[in-house]
Parts: sequence; C-alpha cells; structure tokens
Amino acid sequence: MSKDRNQDPILTMRNVSVNFPVKGGLPFLKKGIIQAVTDVSLKIKRGETFGIVGESGCGKTTLANAMIGMVKPTSGEVIFNGKNLYKIKRDDFKKTRRHMQMIFQDPFSSLNPRFNVYQIISEPMFIRGEDDEETMKERVVELLKLVGLSPNDLYRYPSDFSGGQRQRLGIARSIILNPEFLVCDEPVSALDVSVHAQILNLLTDIQKQMKLSYVFISHNLAVVKNVCDSMIVMYLGKIMESGNSETIFKNPLHPYTHALLAAVLDTTIRKDRKQVILKGDIPSPINPPKGCRFWQRCPYAMEGCKTIPPENIEVEKAHVVACHHVNGFPEIELPKDYKNKVNMEEDS
Amino acid sequence: MEQVLKLRNLKVIFPSHGGIIRAVEGVDLDIHQGESVALVGESGCGKSVTSQSVMRLIESPPAITRLDTLEFNGKDIKNYTHKQMQDIRGKEMSMIFQDAMTSLNPVMTCGKQIDEMYIRHKGVSKKEAREYTIEALKLVGMPEPRSRAKNFPHELSGGMRQRVLLAMAFACLPKLIIADEPTTALDVTIQAQVLNVLRNMQKKHDMSLLLITHDLSVVSNIADIVYVMYSGKIVEKASVEDIFHEPYHPYTRGLIASVPKLSDTEKEFSQIPGTVPHPMKKPNGCYFHPRCQHATKQCKKAMPPLISVGKNHEVRCHHPLKDMKKEGKA
Repeated sequence: MSKDRNQDPILTMRNVSVNFPVKGGLPFLKKGIIQAVTDVSLKIKRGETFGIVGESGCGKTTLANAMIGMVKPTSGEVIFNGKNLYKIKRDDFKKTRRHMQMIFQDPFSSLNPRFNVYQIISEPMFIRGEDDEETMKERVVELLKLVGLSPNDLYRYPSDFSGGQRQRLGIARSIILNPEFLVCDEPVSALDVSVHAQILNLLTDIQKQMKLSYVFISHNLAVVKNVCDSMIVMYLGKIMESGNSETIFKNPLHPYTHALLAAVLDTTIRKDRKQVILKGDIPSPINPPKGCRFWQRCPYAMEGCKTIPPENIEVEKAHVVACHHVNGFPEIELPKDYKNKVNMEEDS
Repeated sequence: MEQVLKLRNLKVIFPSHGGIIRAVEGVDLDIHQGESVALVGESGCGKSVTSQSVMRLIESPPAITRLDTLEFNGKDIKNYTHKQMQDIRGKEMSMIFQDAMTSLNPVMTCGKQIDEMYIRHKGVSKKEAREYTIEALKLVGMPEPRSRAKNFPHELSGGMRQRVLLAMAFACLPKLIIADEPTTALDVTIQAQVLNVLRNMQKKHDMSLLLITHDLSVVSNIADIVYVMYSGKIVEKASVEDIFHEPYHPYTRGLIASVPKLSDTEKEFSQIPGTVPHPMKKPNGCYFHPRCQHATKQCKKAMPPLISVGKNHEVRCHHPLKDMKKEGKA
C-alpha cells in the first residue's frame, strides 16, 4: 500500500486554465479576459523538484497559486494526494492545505515588520490550534538552527536581518507544519548573487532531510538546471517544453528555450560581446496571439505558426515540445542545427 | 586617454543612534574616456554610496563626506555649489537608477520626463524637445516611440521603463554614465536587451560608464576595469581579464564561484560562508577574515594595504592567492 502511494504523483493538474476578467470603462462592461494559464496538464512526482521557467507575466505564479488552492481555476482539475482540491469540503481542504506551503519571492515584503521572529515562524502553528507556548518555542528554536540562524534571534524583528537571513526566516515559517509539498516562488531572485548559493543549498538540504516535493519557480535557467529533476518552460500561459530537466538541457528543442538559454550570463568574458537576444517584450495575455503564442518573437516563425496552434509532441521519452518545427512543417526550412537534432530523434 | 573622473580617498560616515556607520572608507576611483568600469560588491558594501558621492547626491547632514580629490573632466568639482552641480548633472554626467518604477514620476508621461532634460540643458522649446525625445527613445530600441512617449510609467513593462531611464540618461550625451544596478529588477531576457543597448550606446558615443552591480556575470559582459568592494573598502582592482582569470583575493574568487552557471555539473552550489559584517560592528584587522578560509593571525590583527601584484592589478590581502586550481571550489 505504502509503496503504491509513493509512486503516485503528489500533484496532478489536468487541463487547468485560469482566466481573470478585466473590467474597465463603463460599469458592468467586461473589457476582456486575461488568459493567465491556458490548458496546462502536469504531474509532479513525490520527492522530486519540479521547475517552472519563464519570463514575468507568463503565468508561473498563477499556476503555482492554482496548485496550492489560492486561485480557483476556470476549468480543469487539481488533484493533490488523490483529492480534488476544488471539489472537497472546506474542512477537508483546510486539512489538506497544511501539507502544502509556499516560500515567497521578496523577503522584504513577505514578513510582517511588526512581528518578531518567534511570532512570524510560529504563526502557522498558532493558526492550526497550537496554544502551548513552550512547544511552539521549542519548535521555533529547532527550526532556527536548521535554517542557520541563532536561537538568540528569537525576539528580533525582520528589519534587523539582511535579505538572505530574511529569506531563511521565510523558509523556517514554511516548513514548521512539516509539509509534504513546498512551492518556492523565485526564492532567490530578490537576493544578491553571492547569497543565492547559500539559500539554494539550504533548500536542497531541507529537501533531503524532510523528503519534500518542491515546485521551483525561476527565470534563470542556470539555477533550475542544478536544482530540478523535471521542468516545464512556460510562455504566455502555455507550456512550450516539458520533461526531464536533464533531457531538456541536453537537447533543448523549442526556440523559446534556446532564447532563455542564450540569455543566461555566466562569467566567461565575451570578446566579441554578441549574443542571440530575443527581441521585444512578452505580449499582453488579454489578447494572446492565435496559433503559436510565441510566433511574434520567434526567429523561425512561419506562416503556419501564426494561425495553427502547435500540438504537444513527445519527441523522446519524457520530453514534450509544443512547436511546429519539431514536427517538421513540410514547407518550412529549418535551420541547420535544428534539422540535425530532429533527424537524430527520428533515427534513434 | 583623457581622464574623466578622478576620485581620491573618499570617506562617507553616517552617524546614527547605535553608533557610527562607516559606509565608505577611503575609496579611489579612476575612469578614463570610453572606459566602462564596474564596481562590484554585496548589498551594504558601500557601492551605491560611492557612486552617489561622485554625483554629490549624498546629503550632508546627515552624512559626513570627506575626500581629497574629486575631479571630473579636468575640473575640480569638490567644492561646487548646488547650482553648479545641477548644471553638470544630466548634462555631463547622468545616472540610471535600479528600480525604474520608483525613479520615474508616476503622474507625468514618460515623454515629458525626458523632454525636461532637453528643456533644462539645451534650452529648446517644448516642441523641439519632444522631437529629440522621440529620437532618443528610438535609439534605445523602444517600439513605437511616438505613442509610447505619451504613456505613463505604469502603462509600460519593466524593460520599457528601464529603456525610458536609459533614454533620459543618454539624452544630453554626457561624458559619464553611472548605472546603479540597471538590470537587477529585470528578467534574464530583458536584462540581455538592456545591457546590449547600454553597451552599444556607450561604445558609439565614446562615453565612460560606471556600472554598480552585485552580479559578476553582468560585469563579464560589459566592463573593462573591475573594482571589487567589501565593507566600504576596495579589496581588488584589475582589468576584467585578470579578475576572471587570475583573481587574487579570496572574496573575488568566492563571488565568481557563486554565479550559477549552465556548465555546472554538481548539484551543490559553491557559496561564501557567513554574511557581510554589520557596518557598525566591523571586525578588527581584515574585514573579510571571519569568512575567509585562509585567514591567519596576521589577518585578525591588521588591515592589509592595497598592494600591487601586476600591471594595473591591486589587491588588499595579506596572503594573495595566485593558483586558482589549488583552491578549487571555495
């Protein structure tokens, strides 16, 4: 029984879409609909780290919110531990929610400045009906040590801490209820680069100790590569490429994944100082383009891309790409390296 | 090469309730024409205070600023009055701030804010200024500049707002541009775009650039000379090649190693242990010694001087390390 349970995915999403109405102009007049997330299906295995990559405004955070029951999807279902999150009763939902927690992006605005460390970290326990001060204090001290802060910090306020230390507080708060599932929404992007490594290593250690499943949201592929087991690349509410992260990094097929990879800066000095740069901004999700959502910025866009939305094609085991080029549009001339890659898939 | 900026022995102190915060302790900066200089360090190391002192933007009081020399473009601007500084700011040196949303005026259209630059410094009419503005927006790669100039800041995306700031900074083609973390609030793809514009504009007009950042991966893409700052002091100064290929200071090595790279194969990220010392409780001796794995007794006692270890390469360390491989991953 327990073995079976371990093989079940911890979270399944089936055809989830989240729309937000936009009101404006005259009262009661609907101006439009923001399609924040469109038709997303995914499975997160127990104990793995699942990466969500994309630019701001592509629906990463909305998707994560839908996962933990903070935003009700317009359609589709979210199943956590065998329970449909949006169909179960309120009491049941509350019980389920304690197993899913979140770490927020900005440690400067996600901590109440008028609470001290003890109040911040013990608040989830307090809300769940714990009222014994001693038990809570013990647990908070234990967690402070775990995240690398000292028990002397118990009565200090968030303003006394640096960004990295504040993020540690946020982590301690999120794991106090022993969750099974933790959503990290860009946990390092508001911090100094030198602190990134500390926080990421801490998250990995905690995962090992507590056997957590992570959802890791980021726009930096270099971070995702080292942290995640499987991942999806999102653009304008849709999944562009998904699968095992090792496979994707070895053989990225979607032009958008290529562009993201090219945008990662590392410490090699570029003599010519030229790089492939994606032009323009992400379009507005109010009127997303027909056909492939990426075509306006895609360097390989063809006529077909503008009108026909690409299907999800499984190019290899655990690697799904939504792009016409991978399928091989007959009239499209593929760039050379693309052809080689696609041919290789066909041969094998 | 003509020297654009010469700063000697800058010290900035903020008196506060708990004690004295020594934000900057004796910083020297040299910037030549056409050069891009990067000032690198973690939050709280005094890099922003240094750059704002160059613009004379640090209010005194509360701050106490002492410096030996501040020469800009051959002129000694150390004792310039507010009025005289206003003529220089924006015209001969200008600044790009970190957060575009808070540094733009939310109740003024973007175009109008750029117009002001031309009206103030070139003395042109409003109509002419708008033409210049549209031209400037075009240069920084803003799509549909004519209609975008009529937009308010909140109507633009993060990348576009940063472009507005770039257009404003480049408006009067100044000699020196100071960019204070111009890309930290942006996505990787937009960061690449903005850096590209910054680099192209700077090279095209032969301007000098002072780039303030905590991200060494940005530095490797844009800088010629790198100053590494730690806790108010310069700890290493070298050309960009030397910094990345032959770093001497253990802190510089730690910073380089902590950049996440696509080529990394290990799951573990390399990190610098500990945190930056509190500005009121700086340790004795070398400020870096509590975090340094090579620290000796000498390091705990005395602050090392800035010594020269090569051509244009200076380092503040008692035990400068040369062999990068020997240390491996810090």
